[in-house]
Amino acid sequence: MSFDWPFFWHYLLEPSSLYVNGLVLTVALSVVSQLIGTALGLAAALARISRFRAVQAAARFYIWVMRGTPLLVQIVFIYTGLAAANLVRFHDVDVGLFVIAGNVQAGILALSLNEGAYMAEIIRAGIASVDHGQGEAASSLGMTQTLLMRRIILPQAIRLIIPPLGNQFNIMLKNSTLVSIIGVPELLLVTETINSATFRTFELYTVVGLYFLTLTTLWGFAQRWIEIRYSAPSRDGTDTTVSGSRRFTFRNLLNAATR
Amino acid sequence: MGQIDDTLSPDTVIPPADPNVLVEAINVHKWFGTSKVLDGVYLSVRRGETVVIIGPSGSGKTTFVRCLNHLEAIQRGVVRVNGQFIGYRERNGRMVPDRPRNIALQRRDVGMVFQRFNLFAHMTALENIIEAPVHVRGVARTEAEATARALLARVGLSGRENAYPVQLSGGQQQRVAIARALAMRPTVMLFDEPTSALDPEMVGEVLAVIRELAKDGMTMVIVTHEMEFARDVADRVVVMDKGVIVESGTPQHVFVESQHPRLRAFLAKTRLHVAE
Repeated sequence: MSFDWPFFWHYLLEPSSLYVNGLVLTVALSVVSQLIGTALGLAAALARISRFRAVQAAARFYIWVMRGTPLLVQIVFIYTGLAAANLVRFHDVDVGLFVIAGNVQAGILALSLNEGAYMAEIIRAGIASVDHGQGEAASSLGMTQTLLMRRIILPQAIRLIIPPLGNQFNIMLKNSTLVSIIGVPELLLVTETINSATFRTFELYTVVGLYFLTLTTLWGFAQRWIEIRYSAPSRDGTDTTVSGSRRFTFRNLLNAATR
Repeated sequence: MGQIDDTLSPDTVIPPADPNVLVEAINVHKWFGTSKVLDGVYLSVRRGETVVIIGPSGSGKTTFVRCLNHLEAIQRGVVRVNGQFIGYRERNGRMVPDRPRNIALQRRDVGMVFQRFNLFAHMTALENIIEAPVHVRGVARTEAEATARALLARVGLSGRENAYPVQLSGGQQQRVAIARALAMRPTVMLFDEPTSALDPEMVGEVLAVIRELAKDGMTMVIVTHEMEFARDVADRVVVMDKGVIVESGTPQHVFVESQHPRLRAFLAKTRLHVAE
C-alpha cells in the first residue's frame, strides 16, 4: 500500500477553491433543504391531524410515497425524469449575487420533499406528546385551534422535536452527497472530479470522509447548545433537557458529538 | 366531534331565553359510542347562582359540565349560555354544528377549571393568566399583567408570579388555574371536580377561593365530591344518577329532607349525612 502523505495533507489543509465551493454547496444544500423540509414536515403533521379527511389523506399519501421510495430515485426522478417527460425543466435562476443552477434547485426540492416526510412524523409525535388537557384548557379560554397550536402546543412540542431534528440534519449532511448523481458539484462530486485526474482514491476519500466527520461533529456541538436553549423548566428552578444534563460543558459537548 | 345534526328532535321544546337565566341545558343527551351518558338533562342556572352537582361516579356529572362549553358534543337537546346556543346553531329548524370560530368566541365568556389543573407547563403563573386576555381578547400586556397580579393576590399567591407550574403544589396550581379562568372576565365559571386531584391538606385552600367567588356573586356550576362544601356554598344542589338529574333543591332539601331512594343510598355511601 502506498499512501501519499504530502498529497493527503495538501488536499486536507489547503483545499482548492473548487473543493471549498463544494464544501459551501454541501452545507448550503443541507441547511436550505432542512429548513424547507422542516416547514413541509410541520405542514404535513398539521394536515395529518386536520379535521378534513381529504387533507389527512393527502398528507398520508405524501408521507407514504416519500418514505417508501429511495432518495436517490427521487432525485433522478425530479431532475431527469420530469425533464424527460417534458413536464418540468429546472432552469438556472439568477438571484443577483449568484446563480442557482437547475440541478441545485432540483436537488434541494428532492432533499426537502424527502425530509418533509420524515419531519412530519417527528413533529406529529412531538405534538401528540403534549398533555391533551392543556389543549382543552386553551380551548376553554376561547383560543382557536391555530392559536392554541402556535402558543401552547408547538412551543412544548419543540423540545421533543429538537433532538430527532438534530439527528435528521446529521443524516441530511451526508445524504446531500446523493445529488452528485445529477451533477451538483458538492463535496463528493468534486472529490470524484479530482480523483479522475489524480487517481489518488484512497487519499481523496479519506479527506472527504474527514470533512464530513468535521461537519457532523460541529453540528453535534450546535445541537447540544440548541437543546439547552430549549430546555424545560423543572421543579428546582434549573432547566432540564430531554437528554438530562443541562450544562454546556466540554464533556457534555463531547458526549453530544460522539453519541 | 360533531357529525350529529339532529339535536332539535320533536321531543325537545325550547322555551324563549329568560334574561335571568345564564346557563340552560334542555333535554341534553349524550352517548359515548353505544353507552348513554346523558339521558335528557334539564338545568337552568340563574345569574349569580351557585349550583353544585353531586352524584356517584359514572353518573355523567363531569360529562354534563363539559357539555356546557362544548368540550363534549351532544347528540340531542340544546345548551344555551347568555341566550346563545352553545356548539350548534339553528338552520332550517334543525341544529347543526357551529363553526369552530364561533364556538371559540362563545367559550371566552365561560370559565372552566379542570380536575387536573391543565396549566400551560411552559409558562409561569403570570404568563398562564395573561395568555388568553392578551392573545384572545387583545388586552394590552401591561393591563393584563396588572389584572393578573391582582387575581394572584385574590387567590393568595402574591409573589409566585414567576413560578412555573412544576414548581407549585397542586393546590397552588389549581388556584392559578382559577385565576387564569377569571382573567377572561367570564359570566359563568364551571368547575369539574376541582379538588379531586389534590392531596387532602390542599383541598381547603382551593375551596376557600371558590367560596369567596360565590360570596362575590359569581355564577357557578360546580361538580364535586365534597359534600360539606356543597352544603355550605350551594344555592342549589343537583343530584345526578345514571345520566339524569334525580333531585334538585336547596342543600337543606337535598341533604336532609329528600327521601329519594337513589339519593339516600348515595349519601349513605359518602358517609356524610350533613344532617347532624
